[in-house]
Amino acid sequence: MDINKVKKQWQELSTAVEDIDYAVSGYDYSVCLERDKVRDFAAMMLDEGFYLVDLMAVHVTPAIEVVYQFAHFETRCRVMARAFVDDQVEISTISDIYQGANWHERETRDFHGVVFVGHPYLEPLILAEEDVDLKPLLKEEAKLQDVDAVRRQPPEPAPEPKAKPEPKPEAKPEAVKSQEQS
Amino acid sequence: MSMDIEVLEDSRHHRYVLNMGPQHPSTHGVLRVLLELEGEYAMELLPVLGYGHRCHEKIAEFKPAKSFMPNTARMDYLGALIYNQGFAQLLEKAAGIEVPERVEYIRVMASELNRIQSHLLWYGAYLLDLGAFTPIMYAFDDREHILDILEDVTGSRLTYCYFRVGGVSKDIDDKFVTSTRAFIDRLRSRFPMYEDLVNGNVILQKRLIDVGELTPHICARYGITGPMLRGTGVAYDLRRAEPYSIYSEFDFEIPTETKGDCMASFLVRFREMEQSLRIIEQALDRLPEGPIMAAKVPKKLKIPAGDYNSSVEAPRGELSYYLVSDGSDVPYRLKVRTPSYSNLSVVPEMCQGMLLSDVVSAMGSLDLVIPEIDR
Amino acid sequence: MEIFYSILPELIRIVVCAVCGAVIVFGNALVMGYAERKLAGHIMLRPGPMEVGPHGIYQLVVDGLKLMGKQLVVPAKADPLLFRFAPLLAFAPVFVPLLVIPFSSKLQGFDLDIGLLVILALASINLLAVLIGGWSSNNKYSLFGAFRAVSQNVAYEIPMLLSLLSIIFMTNTFSLKAVVAAQSPVWFIVIQPLAFLIYLVSIVAETNRAPFDLPEAESELTAGFHTEYSGMSFSLFVLGEYANMFIVSSVATVFFLGGSSGIPLPYFEYSGIIWFMLKVYTLMFFLVWIRWTYPRTRFDQLMNFCWKYLIPFALVNLLITVVMVKLL
Repeated sequence: MDINKVKKQWQELSTAVEDIDYAVSGYDYSVCLERDKVRDFAAMMLDEGFYLVDLMAVHVTPAIEVVYQFAHFETRCRVMARAFVDDQVEISTISDIYQGANWHERETRDFHGVVFVGHPYLEPLILAEEDVDLKPLLKEEAKLQDVDAVRRQPPEPAPEPKAKPEPKPEAKPEAVKSQEQS
Repeated sequence: MSMDIEVLEDSRHHRYVLNMGPQHPSTHGVLRVLLELEGEYAMELLPVLGYGHRCHEKIAEFKPAKSFMPNTARMDYLGALIYNQGFAQLLEKAAGIEVPERVEYIRVMASELNRIQSHLLWYGAYLLDLGAFTPIMYAFDDREHILDILEDVTGSRLTYCYFRVGGVSKDIDDKFVTSTRAFIDRLRSRFPMYEDLVNGNVILQKRLIDVGELTPHICARYGITGPMLRGTGVAYDLRRAEPYSIYSEFDFEIPTETKGDCMASFLVRFREMEQSLRIIEQALDRLPEGPIMAAKVPKKLKIPAGDYNSSVEAPRGELSYYLVSDGSDVPYRLKVRTPSYSNLSVVPEMCQGMLLSDVVSAMGSLDLVIPEIDR
Repeated sequence: MEIFYSILPELIRIVVCAVCGAVIVFGNALVMGYAERKLAGHIMLRPGPMEVGPHGIYQLVVDGLKLMGKQLVVPAKADPLLFRFAPLLAFAPVFVPLLVIPFSSKLQGFDLDIGLLVILALASINLLAVLIGGWSSNNKYSLFGAFRAVSQNVAYEIPMLLSLLSIIFMTNTFSLKAVVAAQSPVWFIVIQPLAFLIYLVSIVAETNRAPFDLPEAESELTAGFHTEYSGMSFSLFVLGEYANMFIVSSVATVFFLGGSSGIPLPYFEYSGIIWFMLKVYTLMFFLVWIRWTYPRTRFDQLMNFCWKYLIPFALVNLLITVVMVKLL
């Protein structure tokens, strides 16, 4: 696998490709995708010999973020690809490209309610059938964070400036208190 | 008459559904597989999961990350220390904690012992699936020694919570060193017996060769890792591919086979035990003195905002923790990628058209741990 | 009255033989139940039952009491009549073959001219019991077990018969006593080693024991045809299995191992039973030994082995025997 060639392809498909410090974050590249490019991206990754490590969702504002993790059998190249679902909480499936995504998508549907359009059998997998609307991993309003708050912050600024969104008064004082303690 | 022929031609009329599990001797836990059978041939398979779901990922979002450590052991009760290792490593990376050298050696030894006992249990249980009753007792006889050794240092026998963020909870002593060395000699002397008694058996070979063949491409599509992948000829082991801890310092081989069938993964697992022994031996030789805890581990471990990944080689394949942090000490989101989950997902494709007996041997070769799948 | 007095000795003989048969069946089950557990234990590096009595010797008695005390559960959707009938059918016929087996030259119930046929005919009834039991349980695993048992037993009866037939051609009789007598200089195992081997493989399959225990393969079919059976109805199946083991081993002893012949003991007409039992239990030990050593075969392999190897070899063996008998 030629990483430069692959990176070029990523850049064509994605909005941003970021090199990540493996020693700190445990993966090599972060790729931000538009939601309609997900399938193209997956097909490209399969062609390059990547395998699907994981597929998960993170509940943030403005929309739920679906994270695809890929790695390669021959060289160390661990990639996190991210895409936001649309306002119908929908994103297209990659389970026909990576069959292993089938169960991960069903699980994500269980936990976050993300609908994978085109999935052959989007029934509850981990949860019971009657819990189809439970969506247990969705955050409550108070704990919900903006996507920028869970991104890696530049090291210099202190944590105070990041507390810009006001509509979560519970979470804020707690964080302040804990800082005072430590 | 023509009507009858039409009915006969519609092959689905020959089929019936066999509900294997959740309580079945060869599903190793609460896995349920719906089999659509035609005679004894399984035409469709549908694994049904979730009987052992304990909301580990949800729990993780409600308590400080440090105190999630015991939960990791409950996911894979056979590779508990390796799950500890992955999680400890994740938080150490995220919080920038330097781990003392002695700790790394202790962790490697304990993890490898854990891996051997997992493989030994698989060895016995798999052969039990194949109808050989005796090997499980031999394997447990050996496994018991590991449990005794680990019990002395960790305090528990199965769901260990031995590793801490920045160190381990208790130092190893001379007794650990001597009994581990004795165990290495013992297990080495037992391998020829296992090979004579089991691996060379014609019935076993007839049961395993050409059953459930996989290719590297199938593995990539399903995300299959671990011994099953190595059975297809891909020497992919995270201990070598993304050397974590101090694995890069040890001399060991990655056993591979080329055929990708049940026999291949059987042999790969068997040989891995020998390689783990080699790693332990080298670690014992070089074991340095020093502290067993990092100097500065804050009581309240704040994880800087961002996302972190930590992948380790569990006995069944790649284990990944993915943590999203918002800067507090409680994870914002923790996702655990467990190897058996991806490995099991290949079953509907792998076992299609197989005999019922082969379905059992193919599923046994996945080395399933159901709590790890359900989490 | 005349008639009564003339048949009275025969009647007494029948009763005595039946009682002896029952003693052998239950005694054998006790001995084998204990021996199998102990042997399995020692093969597996563990002591086996140790708690009840010295070396767990009363374990089987206690187990028997427990099984008798257990409720006989009939599944809701099972066929209750057939379900209850099957264990009896598995167990009842095993007494009759014992009547014709020559334990020593004098200890034999009846020396019938068709001794072998009686044994084979009655031994096959066990198969019917398995089929009825599996069918009436109304359980898919049981049904599978029953189907497997039928095809397996039907297939393996052929090589078994063929291998015995080659002995019959040499002795020209179905009477077991005559077969034993025909082995006075040399046992038939020496003359017919291939037939013995084929017979040995076939009886493992006929008695549904590992590595050919597919009808009850517990890792695939939970417990096969007796999945739904509990208590005494389950133990009747087990009793039947051990009795069948005893019968097929006895036949092997009679046909290949010289029956009760051996180093002469005092009162050899009666004490020959010691040699006989020794040979029978050696064979049974062998059956237990392979059960706890080998993994299970797959069903198609099992059937292929029978149709592609055992039957052709048995036929060739039979042909050679016939030619040799004709020439000599």
